[in-house]
Amino acid sequence: MSRLSSLVRTALRVNFGLSLFRPKEFLRRKRDLWMLPLFALGAASLGPVLYFYLKVIGAFYRWLAPSGQQAVLLTAAVLLGQVFILIFGFYYIISAFYFSRDLEVLVPLPLTPIQVMLSKFVVILANEYLTVALLVLPVFISYGVLERAGVLYWITAGLVYLLLPVLPLAIVGLLVVGLMRVANFGRKKDALIIVGSLVLMTAALGGQVWLSRSAGSSASPEEVARFLASSDGLIRSLGAKFPPSIWASTAMARGFSKAGLWNALLFAGFSAGLFLGLLVAAEKMFYHGLVGLGERAARRKRLDREALAGRLSSGRRPVRAVFIRELRVMNRTPIFLLNGVLSVILIPIIFVLMAKTGSGQSDTSRLIAVLGAANPATAALGAALFMAICACLNGTSSSTFSREGGQFWMSKVIPVAPRDQAKGKFLHSFAVALLGIAAASVVVIIIARPAVPVFAAALAIAVVGSFVLTVFGMLIDLARPLLEWTNPQKAIKQNLNVLLAVLGDLAFMALMFFVVRLMKKAGLSGNALVAAVFVLLAAAAAGSYRLLLVFADRRYPQIEL
Amino acid sequence: MIELRNVSKSYSKGRVKAVDDLTLTVRPGEIFGFLGPNGAGKTTTIKMIVGLLKPDRGAVRVEGFDVQREPLRSKAVTTFVPDTPAIYERLTGLEYLNFIGDVYGVPKNDRLARIEKGLEMFELGPAVGSPIQSYSHGMKQKIVLLAALLPFPKVMVLDEPMVGLDARSAHHMKTLMREHCGRGGTLFFSTHIMEVAEKVCDRIAIIHKGRLIAEGTMAELRGRNGTEESLESIFLELTEA
Repeated sequence: MSRLSSLVRTALRVNFGLSLFRPKEFLRRKRDLWMLPLFALGAASLGPVLYFYLKVIGAFYRWLAPSGQQAVLLTAAVLLGQVFILIFGFYYIISAFYFSRDLEVLVPLPLTPIQVMLSKFVVILANEYLTVALLVLPVFISYGVLERAGVLYWITAGLVYLLLPVLPLAIVGLLVVGLMRVANFGRKKDALIIVGSLVLMTAALGGQVWLSRSAGSSASPEEVARFLASSDGLIRSLGAKFPPSIWASTAMARGFSKAGLWNALLFAGFSAGLFLGLLVAAEKMFYHGLVGLGERAARRKRLDREALAGRLSSGRRPVRAVFIRELRVMNRTPIFLLNGVLSVILIPIIFVLMAKTGSGQSDTSRLIAVLGAANPATAALGAALFMAICACLNGTSSSTFSREGGQFWMSKVIPVAPRDQAKGKFLHSFAVALLGIAAASVVVIIIARPAVPVFAAALAIAVVGSFVLTVFGMLIDLARPLLEWTNPQKAIKQNLNVLLAVLGDLAFMALMFFVVRLMKKAGLSGNALVAAVFVLLAAAAAGSYRLLLVFADRRYPQIEL
Repeated sequence: MIELRNVSKSYSKGRVKAVDDLTLTVRPGEIFGFLGPNGAGKTTTIKMIVGLLKPDRGAVRVEGFDVQREPLRSKAVTTFVPDTPAIYERLTGLEYLNFIGDVYGVPKNDRLARIEKGLEMFELGPAVGSPIQSYSHGMKQKIVLLAALLPFPKVMVLDEPMVGLDARSAHHMKTLMREHCGRGGTLFFSTHIMEVAEKVCDRIAIIHKGRLIAEGTMAELRGRNGTEESLESIFLELTEA
């Protein structure tokens, strides 16, 4: 047991960088203090979102309380949290269980497969507690406060929260361990990540379609009456597809009653059962799927002189060389590819599905088209905003330096000015953003059918806006690059810079919204308004790009390896 | 030429002196071996020479260029091989060599001739079109060495270059090191293999606890004690404390 706890402690220390956490050192080294306001800004930008979320929860509570259905909020929160973990957990489990570089160190140690797997599981669990906290805790807390719940509720809520990620992670863990054992992709581990991720995306999109259809199906008056007659009718309807969410919410809502205890037992028992199943599977199958995974097969083919000469570049400019390197490294690393290129394509597809699968989609489309025609300037700005969101809300620019990891030494020793390296990296990140704009443009054309001048204006604004946001993401990552990672996932999916950049992007968009309102109040409208926004963003783009180059020259020498 | 003047570097608020007031000069055409026990400050010194670390005090000059003040000029004449070959594993060997050729501005014809020779020598021909992630540790080491030789730099800085190389490749490496210095180049390398240092190096320096404790040719090092001791014996004697 002590071996296991030591392993788990080490894994947690590595994951959260606890060994590197030195608050006193941080305060003493004044040069990093500028990060504090950035963190404060990031945290503060969550405030309005949280406030809005709490308001919505409160409104729903007041709406449901008269019919005694308020516990459905708990069901929804548990369901949402578990489905969220079910979908994204696949990604985390597969990379932590099979593709972390530390496995090469752990497997030869005198540890059982269960111990190794458990250490990974606990780390993912800890991450998931943080990930779903914002989603689930506000509901649990609001409900408890509004109900004036007793101590038992808070204890049950705490237990449910602790157990909440166990069940979906155990399900995903069983699937992944089984998949790795049976399919035995062996050396094609990149293919496995891509296939796994496509399964995940299909599940996500399928879930989206399913939810839209469920929401769209009209209930008969009799069904509505039956819902309202039973105090948990709505709960049962919502949780029908995933009963553990009903058990959890009933356990919390019914407290120390027979039903409450029984449901608590069901929820805990089912979670524990699946978790035990995972342990058994780990003991029997974990290492079978793992052994040999680190080996790479490659077809070796000697190149003759002519072939070699043909594949040699004829002296590219350094900026282009850096750009091509970025492109190749990003597109050939599955985790980077999925979070960059594929996500900018996927987000617009999700939007199309959302718009097209729900009930009354044609009405929505028509409504957007009518509104757009009535106010072309607003339509252009709205479309530009959508395109910029699709282009930039991903981790490409905000992990561009972090992605180099331990290989950053090469960027430090090559005779290429930091500003030129930053230019190459910018070109790559901006190319991905342009791809996102292109994908979003197709969505805009399909859904909103804008007039050509409106579309052109939206496109122009989206391009300059994305330029600014790309630079912004790069600035954040350059300020605090995460270069010490063993699992590429840490560089992009678990990189705080990506979150900070997304929050910053949202703050920038909100700022632009207020600027546009001010312009409108000042009397600008129509083409003049669109032109003013474009000029403003173009100026910001030019200024920020210059800032990036200057900052690169200053920051590169400071980064020590 | 490499010049270090009163170079110091410390960690942990100055409590740990990794390199302490180090002064040495490596002349053109010279193979310079840099020895020391683990944690003596070898890699820190090397990292300061190539610009990966900034000295707390003192100056490092490569071919007359101050590494901190004129980084691009000093980098343009220097190539570096680290102790662990952490390189772009998703690129093929050839793509990596192309990248290095591009950033150092190696003309295509020179590139072809040098790569051909290097691939032959290090037996990397069949692997050069494959992703680096499929290479063994030794093959990775060889591709990094080949990349470092590609620009025909004036100064080569190698941290433990023989680690991971098979006997044939190590032999070829020594030949290439000699060729490099025959062209007037400077070669600075650290090693734990005393026999290699004894046979290959024109001059040797020994660093211990961040301070230079001996420097000279093999004959000069032996002359200190007036004996015919091996480098290993001299090293053990000097670094005993």
